[in-house]
Amino acid sequence: MKTNLNPPNVFKIILAVLFLFLISSLFELQIIKGNYYHQIAERNFVRLNRIPATRGEIYDRNYKPVVINIPSLNLYLTPAKIKNVKSLMQFLQFNYGIDPAEVDSLVYNNRFRSYQDILIAENTDYDTMMRVSEDLNYYPSLNFKVETTRQYLIPNHFTGYVGRINADEYSRVKEEGYSINSSIGKTGLEKYYEVLLHGKDGNEIIQVDATGKSLNLFKNNLVQQPENGLSLVLTMDSDLQKYASSVFPGGVNGAIAVIDVKTGGILAYSSKPDFDQNMMMTKINKDDWNRISNDPNKPMLDRVIHGVYPPGSVFKALTASIGLERGVITQYSLDRPCTGGLMIGNRFFRCWSRAGHGSLSVEDALRVSCDVFFYDLSLKLNLDDFQKFVFANHLAQRTGIDLPNERQGLFPNTAWYKKHYGKYTGIIGPKVNLSIGQGEIQVSPLQICAYYAALANNGKWIRPHLLDRAIGNKTILYRDLNQKLVTQLPVSANTLRIIHEGLYKVVNAPGGTGGAARVEGADVYGKTGSAENHVGSPTHAWFVGYYVTDTPQIAVCVFMENAGHGGSSAAPIAGQIMRYYHDHIENNKTKMVAEK
Amino acid sequence: MFTKSKNFDWTLFVLLLILLMMGVFAIYSASTTKIGDTYNVKNFWWKQAIFVIFVLLTLYFLFRIPFAVIDLLIVPAYIFSLLTLVVVLFLPTINGSHRWFQFGFLHFQPSEMAKLCTILMVAKIISKPYMGELSIMLRGFLVTLLPVALIIIEPDFGTTVVFCISLLAMFAAADIPFIYILLIVSPILSIITSFYLLYFIIFILLLIYLLIKYRLSWVGISIAVVINVFISLITPFIWQGLKTYQQNRILTFLDPTLDPLGAGYQIIQAKIAIGSGSILGKGFLLGTQKNMNFLPEHHTDFIFSVIGEEFGFVGSSILLLVFFMFLWRLSLAVGKLNVRERKIATAGIMAYLSFQIFINIGMNIGVVPTTGIPLPFISYGGSNLLINSLAVGMVMKYLLERGFMK
Repeated sequence: MKTNLNPPNVFKIILAVLFLFLISSLFELQIIKGNYYHQIAERNFVRLNRIPATRGEIYDRNYKPVVINIPSLNLYLTPAKIKNVKSLMQFLQFNYGIDPAEVDSLVYNNRFRSYQDILIAENTDYDTMMRVSEDLNYYPSLNFKVETTRQYLIPNHFTGYVGRINADEYSRVKEEGYSINSSIGKTGLEKYYEVLLHGKDGNEIIQVDATGKSLNLFKNNLVQQPENGLSLVLTMDSDLQKYASSVFPGGVNGAIAVIDVKTGGILAYSSKPDFDQNMMMTKINKDDWNRISNDPNKPMLDRVIHGVYPPGSVFKALTASIGLERGVITQYSLDRPCTGGLMIGNRFFRCWSRAGHGSLSVEDALRVSCDVFFYDLSLKLNLDDFQKFVFANHLAQRTGIDLPNERQGLFPNTAWYKKHYGKYTGIIGPKVNLSIGQGEIQVSPLQICAYYAALANNGKWIRPHLLDRAIGNKTILYRDLNQKLVTQLPVSANTLRIIHEGLYKVVNAPGGTGGAARVEGADVYGKTGSAENHVGSPTHAWFVGYYVTDTPQIAVCVFMENAGHGGSSAAPIAGQIMRYYHDHIENNKTKMVAEK
Repeated sequence: MFTKSKNFDWTLFVLLLILLMMGVFAIYSASTTKIGDTYNVKNFWWKQAIFVIFVLLTLYFLFRIPFAVIDLLIVPAYIFSLLTLVVVLFLPTINGSHRWFQFGFLHFQPSEMAKLCTILMVAKIISKPYMGELSIMLRGFLVTLLPVALIIIEPDFGTTVVFCISLLAMFAAADIPFIYILLIVSPILSIITSFYLLYFIIFILLLIYLLIKYRLSWVGISIAVVINVFISLITPFIWQGLKTYQQNRILTFLDPTLDPLGAGYQIIQAKIAIGSGSILGKGFLLGTQKNMNFLPEHHTDFIFSVIGEEFGFVGSSILLLVFFMFLWRLSLAVGKLNVRERKIATAGIMAYLSFQIFINIGMNIGVVPTTGIPLPFISYGGSNLLINSLAVGMVMKYLLERGFMK
């Protein structure tokens, strides 16, 4: 007994036991239950099926729909079921205009996933569907699925659009449960809030049984329900948005931004010309694509945050405030009289009024938009300090709006000039130009609008944003997602008071440049601008201002490329928008309060 | 081919060759997909064929190297393998764990090398004559603990179990009484039985009976019983203290069908594939379940399902038989070898190969939990193949050089 239990014998016994166990399990599996499993296998019976989550929709502040989901008929191809590749290629080319080479490469690329469906075409229209369905018997590899697609109810630049996931995006997000057929936000809010909108796809195991019998192979948990995406409620007001878009004159490129002064919420956001994003929802044909992408007016450019321009005279409010803050001027100082220009060094800087304005206080300098006043002021400023001040007012700085790829703009300092124009370049000339918002300075319309909203809001700058809240199985407020929304502009109450006074005179005093923006029954403050850009072409027209009833309500910025003077082109449009707001929204508010 | 010595174990060698050939064939089938009437073949099979040729050349050199050289190399190789295990932890994860080095298309798993190096190192350390049982066990544990600790961080639970099993086999070969080995595993049994009071009482009584029978001192018996009872008492509390998802993870590991969309999916698919093979199988390249790609990665961990589906019970039994004869031959070698160090090493090698084969096939037919352990000699993978073959090569070399140093 003792001798038999030496280690090699024990090993042999253990080996024999283990293999007996394996062979008997195998016997049970393959011979006793072999038929059963054979049947299951023949019926090709278990499939892991993805249940796509419904993407969140987008609504305006009054829950009016902006982006919705609509059903879409999509054509899928299962490569393993292809009978005749050549005839399939012809069929697809005839009905959908798909290049045979494309089908060939799709089948080749998916040869090791041959039982996975590949998306071939989206949003099949009714006629094509009828035509294709008749022949579907001959092409068992093709099948239609009813899925959803996006419909964009307002042409705009902020919602962006979704598209099929590409290889780069897929490798980035596949851990988060995306599939090769998922769609993903490509631009705008759809991209920025992808995490909220997308939700999480579910899975189910479906049993494809010829007799419809359940084989109960799985204990439970057969279905993982999808988690639908959250819907976005925007701060935007779609009536105001539509109105703002409609009053913008045709044939002019430009941008409109309207911000709620008290919350920083964007009420209207329009860039012209615009394009229909729904075009991106089907396989866009080459002609349409070329037409849109080669259009010299660049309809796909979002001029509100992706376009940066010299602000011209609307910048003078900032120059005035740094003058007051640094003590270079006071409310009452009447410096050098304007005689239609100023000789600095050996260069003559012109005022826009050849006749000159005479001696002006800062308020009147804003009112008539006198250039010489600000030239003179800028001579007493340090450029690097100037740049810091500009940045502290969030100009030539990203606002941090909830949209992707916002542009920063530019405000140079001494080092920048040395780097670009050589070590010995003078900076006095450029500085004089910068003081009236000309030269190298570039800002986006949104930055200007947010700055004036902050002026209206007693110097409290609030980060402009489109999202109010995300709703669905939970509610997320915009302020939960972001910290540090509010900063104080570096200006004193006194300075603000003087600037307010000046901006009031621009619109309301005789001789003010912005009279066209006046609104009956409320006060409008603002500033016009006519920014030179290219020699020979008309100036960019700017008007930015805010509308005040008992308290400041909204800030409006109208920017028009090469449209002439701010006072005559942009100010009337801003006036119309404010009047619309006054009649439809502000009055409704007071009515509602009265009813209560 | 390699030598004319009568000590060369031709049977073992031929069995190894048969296994390697079967592996290349199975991989050829596993990497082939049929669409319509066309076959698409991935390049795994010829890579594996190249590995096989490379492995045979390596074995040839192994048999030629003087034994003294190998003996000198054991300690540096052990230290080197520890270093690679440390380095691999700082590399980016592949499939969620730090297990692989990647050179172009070659993946190298340092824990494979560590298995062989650790076995040889343990054998070397515990084979010195006149060593007490306690001292043998202590040294064996220490040498094994280092790589095991590093591998558990990766994390790779399956491989650490392989280390423990081969350590126990080496203790057995080092003539440590079985009762001590029982004592070593008793806490694990206590944890398992602690959830069922009846089983636990039976287990403890059995333990006491065996300890008395093997004449352990009363102090020793008391300590062992107290420790086991203590462990079984605190286990339920630890279990309650775990978060639900941690509990689920452990439960799913033990019973993958609880998670039919995750781990259970593979097991169920493997069972369907193997079961549907029935007696004779569906024929080479004709496995329907394989062609539909229900199982991901069936050229590696689930290669047995391809064999089971295409060659049926007959084919898989033949494979099992070849494995059995092969391992039987290794256990015979344990008896034949008289040099203590080599005997112990052979026992370790045999145990680790047997365990991996058992676990992998068991996982494919759904009788043991899923672990990422490939099927030795059959699954695709260069480093795995090389190390397993080198391990067998070491045994063959021991047998070859028998008689010179009695």
